[in-house]
Amino acid sequence: MATRIEPNVQFIREMQAAGGESLKKCYQCATCSVICPLSPEDAPFPRKEMIWAQWGLKDKLVNDIDIWLCHNCGECSDNCPRGAKPADLLAALRNMAYKSLAKPAILGKWMSSPKYLPQLIAIPAVLFLIVWAISTGLRIPEGEIIFAKVFPTLAAIDPIFILVTLFVVFTFISSIGSMFSSFKASGLTPKEDAPGIFRSLIMVVKDEIIDHRKFKECESNQDRYPGHLLIFYGFIALAIVTGTIALFYWTDKLFGFGMTTPLALWNPVKILANVGGIALIIGLIYMTRSRLNADTRNAINSYYDWYILGVIWVVAVTGFLAQIFRLADTATLAYWVYYVHLVSVFMLFAYLPWSKLAHLVYRTAALAYARQIDRRGFDE
Amino acid sequence: MSNNSILVIGGGFSGLTAALEAAEVGHEVFIVEKMPYLGGRVAQLKHYFPKLCPPSCGLEINFQRIKNNPRVKFFTMAEVVSVSGGPGNYEVKIKIKPRYVNNNCTACDKCVEVCPVERDSDFDFNLDKTKAIYRPHLMSFPMRYVIDDQVCEGTACAKCVEACEYQAIDLEEKEKEITLNVGSLMVATGWVPYDVKKLIHLGGGQISNVITNMQMERLAAPAGPTDGKIQRPSDGAEPKRIAFVQCAGSRDQNHLDYCSYICCMASLKHCTYIREQYPDAEVVVYYIDLRAPGRYEKFLHKIEQDEKVLMVKGKVAKIEEEVDTGDVIVTAEDIMGGVKKEEKFNLVVLATGMQPSVAVEESILDVPKDDHGFIIGGEEKGVFAVGCAKMPLDVMTSAETATGAALKAIQTVRR
Repeated sequence: MATRIEPNVQFIREMQAAGGESLKKCYQCATCSVICPLSPEDAPFPRKEMIWAQWGLKDKLVNDIDIWLCHNCGECSDNCPRGAKPADLLAALRNMAYKSLAKPAILGKWMSSPKYLPQLIAIPAVLFLIVWAISTGLRIPEGEIIFAKVFPTLAAIDPIFILVTLFVVFTFISSIGSMFSSFKASGLTPKEDAPGIFRSLIMVVKDEIIDHRKFKECESNQDRYPGHLLIFYGFIALAIVTGTIALFYWTDKLFGFGMTTPLALWNPVKILANVGGIALIIGLIYMTRSRLNADTRNAINSYYDWYILGVIWVVAVTGFLAQIFRLADTATLAYWVYYVHLVSVFMLFAYLPWSKLAHLVYRTAALAYARQIDRRGFDE
Repeated sequence: MSNNSILVIGGGFSGLTAALEAAEVGHEVFIVEKMPYLGGRVAQLKHYFPKLCPPSCGLEINFQRIKNNPRVKFFTMAEVVSVSGGPGNYEVKIKIKPRYVNNNCTACDKCVEVCPVERDSDFDFNLDKTKAIYRPHLMSFPMRYVIDDQVCEGTACAKCVEACEYQAIDLEEKEKEITLNVGSLMVATGWVPYDVKKLIHLGGGQISNVITNMQMERLAAPAGPTDGKIQRPSDGAEPKRIAFVQCAGSRDQNHLDYCSYICCMASLKHCTYIREQYPDAEVVVYYIDLRAPGRYEKFLHKIEQDEKVLMVKGKVAKIEEEVDTGDVIVTAEDIMGGVKKEEKFNLVVLATGMQPSVAVEESILDVPKDDHGFIIGGEEKGVFAVGCAKMPLDVMTSAETATGAALKAIQTVRR
């Protein structure tokens, strides 16, 4: 039966703008689908995505679970005989998902182009300046450097970041809901005997996230495995630190035992914080190096890539500098660097659902869904 | 005064055609051939397009024309070392390597019987061995033996000299240099098969039962290493399932960034070789697009009628060896079915592309080339590229370009 294809030309242009600029070069040889170690036997990717993209089949692409099964190693692009860069197309489709899955849409738009960077910076910059103005009238406080003097935990930091967290969590809950319904719309429904979503989720974490197994299957881009692993565990360490400090702040407040910042350098929590920070920086060096060394014939770096790398760099570097300046007792520098640190942390977390880091949630959720529908790599 | 003679570099099908076309209208022509025989790539084939003749067919007619035409002089084992002057008046220096075997040779094979040294046969793409003294191939023209001085032990051995009843062997022969004055040059340097070792994912040069299309020609050729029997290199077994991997290196920016024009037809031709010997063998041709230029489309349709030849759209991107059996596992996506599959074969043929010889070998010719090494100019200097030095072509079209270039060369020298 003949099918009439209605190409969505606007959508093709959007994909090209979001990083899939070479998609028209593809001549459908399927080298990519074969070379990809993660691509399944049935309807493998990314060859089919390339033709959907060329034909502007938006419905197929926005409901496609396979863009999340891709771990962006770039092996398909390296072996592509035409320089069509299928890896970049899948990355572009993910970028477009970051832009459109989560609401409000305006944030998606702001996160999609460097021209909106000023307002994205301005929101936390103004917010924390207001906090500073209220706490000390924008002055550098006297005495021992304690960041809470300027940015009080109870009155400012906790409420701001608790609200941010709630905002992000609710955003993700709703966008994962729409992601799953888009998978269902593409005809992928878990069978009755499929494991539940939470069991699938645990399997994904245990089987592939903890050891970053799928990163190791890639021959191209060897820097990404240690890079991604270090950043991932660096963040885990820092999350544990943040959680512990928050917990002990409240136990201290309520029951009179716990600890308050700044912590001594030998404090295990502080040690974990610094180890995590160092892991983060080494990981960032790997990841940045692999971006900078990328052969432009085979890969492009999009704004989404640089935004997230840039923000994490600022978070990590200002985190360390704030500590160093505090220990060096240079108050002005210490407080200002800490201010930049807060701004960057806000930019990392509050905008997370629209940034590339959202893959943390979307890919994990999609991988769990893929387990439910038993969609696995060719050799798995 | 301008010189009426024409030099043809390369004595393959297009070089022979170009030389004869010019000679038969009265010009003195010199053919400079690097190999010890004329006939080039065509001599290595079992059949060639368009009519699927054996090479003896077309080549022998041309050799007759050369023998009967005193205006054609040819030098084998010869290479151009320098070119000076300009259109109408070129001075060309030619280096002629020693063959060590003179005109007295009757091809009696006595020397081969006593020669103690073996070498890989480049004519058979290393599927066979010859002695250090050998006949270039069964219907070599000139029919004279030759010694590979890279492996020959020289006067220290000299068993062949003793065995030869005709005093045809001179182990002390030295390299010669001659100078030719010509008015125009035709470059018919042809092509080399793309280096299969660069095709790492396809097991190029690593897996014994993965062969190239040119090796297939030698396997199938009646005078080839297996006397024309198509068999697996690893164990000599008859292949029951055979895969053809099209675009092995061609149409690929990481290898040859162009279509080599005739490999699709060559693989389809190989299907006829297989069918002739093995009526029940299954064949799968993996392709991106099938190129059947002009009337070759009929041939494609004919092969498509064969129920045991399956055409699968999808490029093979991974080939692995099954160690115990020597079988070969090929992975491709069947695009029409949307399934990624591993298939097992007894023999896999890589349809490797053509690379212009001038792109890979040192060339003293000062002519413009495109990014791939094909010659795209030089006509204003009286230098005319012919055949596959110009673009990937089949034999028939190569000959057509030769005729056209011969006319241009004649116009240059008569001006």
